[in-house]
Amino acid sequence: MTRHIHIVKVHHLTLSFPTRKNPDPKPVLNDVDFGIRDGEILGLIGNSGSGKTMTSLAIAGLLPDNAEITSGSIKFAGKDLLEMNPKERRAMLGKDIGMIFQEPSTALDPLMVIGKQLDEVLTAHKDDSQTKEDRRKTIIDMLELVGFSNAEEIYDRYPHQLSGGQRQRVLIAGAALLKPRLLICDEPTSSLDTVTTVSILALLKELCHKLHITILFISHDLSAVRGFCDRVMVMKDGQIVDKDTASDILTNPKNAYTAELLTNARLDTRILGFEPATVDYSTSPVLTAKDITASYGRSLFERVKSKNAGTKTDNNILHDVSLEVYPNEILGLIGGSGSGKTTLIRSLLGLLPHEGNVRIKSESIGAIFQDPVACLNPAHTIKWHLAEALRASKKQARGPKALERIVAVLEECGLGAEFLTRRPHELSGGQRQRIAIAMCLIQEPALIIADEPFSSLDASSSAELLKLMTDINRERNTAFLLITHNIHIVRQICPRLIVMDNGRICEEGTTSEVLNNPKSECTAALLDAERQIHGI
Amino acid sequence: MAKQARKNRSPEASAFYTAGIILLGIVIVMFIISLFWTPYSPDATDAASKFMAPCIEHPFGTDNFGRDVLSRVMSASKYTIFISVAGVAIALILGTVAGIPAGYYGGIGDRIIMLLGNSIMCFPGILLALVAVAVFGPSVTNVIWALGLVFAPTFARVCRLGTMEIKELDYITHARVMKVHPDRIMAFHIFPNLVPQLLPATVIGLANMTLFESGMSYLGLGVQPPDASFGKMLSDAQAYIRTAPWLIVFPALMLVIYILGLYFVSEGLRVTLSKGGK
Repeated sequence: MTRHIHIVKVHHLTLSFPTRKNPDPKPVLNDVDFGIRDGEILGLIGNSGSGKTMTSLAIAGLLPDNAEITSGSIKFAGKDLLEMNPKERRAMLGKDIGMIFQEPSTALDPLMVIGKQLDEVLTAHKDDSQTKEDRRKTIIDMLELVGFSNAEEIYDRYPHQLSGGQRQRVLIAGAALLKPRLLICDEPTSSLDTVTTVSILALLKELCHKLHITILFISHDLSAVRGFCDRVMVMKDGQIVDKDTASDILTNPKNAYTAELLTNARLDTRILGFEPATVDYSTSPVLTAKDITASYGRSLFERVKSKNAGTKTDNNILHDVSLEVYPNEILGLIGGSGSGKTTLIRSLLGLLPHEGNVRIKSESIGAIFQDPVACLNPAHTIKWHLAEALRASKKQARGPKALERIVAVLEECGLGAEFLTRRPHELSGGQRQRIAIAMCLIQEPALIIADEPFSSLDASSSAELLKLMTDINRERNTAFLLITHNIHIVRQICPRLIVMDNGRICEEGTTSEVLNNPKSECTAALLDAERQIHGI
Repeated sequence: MAKQARKNRSPEASAFYTAGIILLGIVIVMFIISLFWTPYSPDATDAASKFMAPCIEHPFGTDNFGRDVLSRVMSASKYTIFISVAGVAIALILGTVAGIPAGYYGGIGDRIIMLLGNSIMCFPGILLALVAVAVFGPSVTNVIWALGLVFAPTFARVCRLGTMEIKELDYITHARVMKVHPDRIMAFHIFPNLVPQLLPATVIGLANMTLFESGMSYLGLGVQPPDASFGKMLSDAQAYIRTAPWLIVFPALMLVIYILGLYFVSEGLRVTLSKGGK
């Protein structure tokens, strides 16, 4: 096979989604022109909607049916991909071009053991000369390579028996099995916590060296490419606005937009103007939780199984968790995935049966959840959402008065009255989270619980959302309980911090104290991972 | 490469909708006209013009009593459409009212409702409906209730499954945190999101219900003479299939057109909704 300097060469590519009503729309990709050098790790950074994913799908040949490439060409190892017939392109997929997607929970078949799924990859692409035993050995070797020490065991497990990070490793193993020359990673780490992210990035880098795989790494987080990518391209509105080596872009950005992205990624308090309210710890707390113990109900099947095994295992997810949130406070709650953060807030919100008691000094508590897609009801307009929240709060205001209040709250959240008639699918992730906040605000709660509201948002949207939260905190004296895996955010806006691990609170204190000299192992591990990724 | 896929709605769905609406239109236009006017009275017998082949005066011919087949087909469409729509409405209401709370609350209530539903589904639907009508006496009202009950579990299942999926989503959790009353959550938060799943089920339900109704009328347990219905006309006509085939062709054709129209529309819905769901 001949080696090319550029394994992929995208030449002035323009792509749009024409419709019958609008045959000549604004292009999604506009004159995109770049090359991926053989053996490098190229980062592709941009906010959501900037065309990163479309670029990668165009290279892989997986564009949606209604996309139309109006000009340009894509060459892979010298061959023009757009000239090939669909059958040839499909054969290239997997063998020459591998892909890893964002959501590891939906990418695996829940009814098939891991080994079988990986076996399918091999049987679909290789000739039949390999025997079953050969294939099994190849798969187990690959599982070991991606960092499973118990590869034999993993081979016979089902996807639900693995954690998010482990599933992502399995997917990487699946992509690497065929030793593709190019691996496209579309936000492979954005649904993982920091500790897992660091290990996945290290694994990808190792694969790149060991198997000579070229990697196109797509992310909305500029700081995630630090120390990982060789070169970085920044995309905005379907155009590449900046490309440079990774270190130059991160330390010395020449383009104004890159600089803005970097600032947002750093969430600098002074520039963005976050000013949380000052907290008076002598007042009585808005929320007091004492000795909360909770577990999920077990299914009949599991009960029978554990009975047969003869062991009585401890199924509690939370063990005697106590916490207090004071008025005006933004309390941070951090911990790795599976540490019980979400179970805790579900118990606090009264959605989960639990032992121990929760006292709330307010008629209502607001809640904002992680997923900006599921947070609003797709069947209704924004106006309906806010009216429904107002109605549920029993602060009856009818007719024009209610509408006035709705508009006022919407404007407070930085959205105008024109949003009233829109439906959720017409809004961006950041805007939806704002609507979710507006729905809380209209009920005038003393406390809002926010469960990882930033994790699916890009840097600019999270910075705006964070600013909104601090503004609300300062102006309305609303307390926040902020659950996040982003230590950086916590450092900026939370005066006090709780660290959870394994269903227990392992550290609690003022933020500077906990983060500057952590006393427990899990805090140290979280901080260490954070340092590696964000270089703080 | 993407030339053929320029339009928003897929051409496949558009074709299904067009075909379905044209076919349904034929039956519905006939139904609407029959409410005000038929060429002859559908029950008027005329001994002088028995077994007339299709001609200018009687475009669909006449039957063994000299009744005009066109008029009878028009009036039969009235019963067919009325029974299928009313039956599906009953099934839909019963199914939603039982299915959504079953899915939302789960537990013992869910088990009981699903047990009832499953036991109805254990028996062939037509058999249950026939038994019910045989016990309570054949009449249009009884046919509607029997078919409604037989079809309700299908809708209950669709609603239950959909509800179980939707209730785990953040916006429902959010509504619960806001302390919205459970009844309101089910009616205004969950139900509108079930519509995309219920719509195709309803259209298919209409088609199946029409077939059931014709079957029952054919066996003499549906619409009672002298009222016309497609099933009854078919069973009356089979004795004369060799001598007067128009007696069987026209009612059967109308039945095929109606059911095919419904299937096309439901197929169009399926294509559109499954594309949009992605």
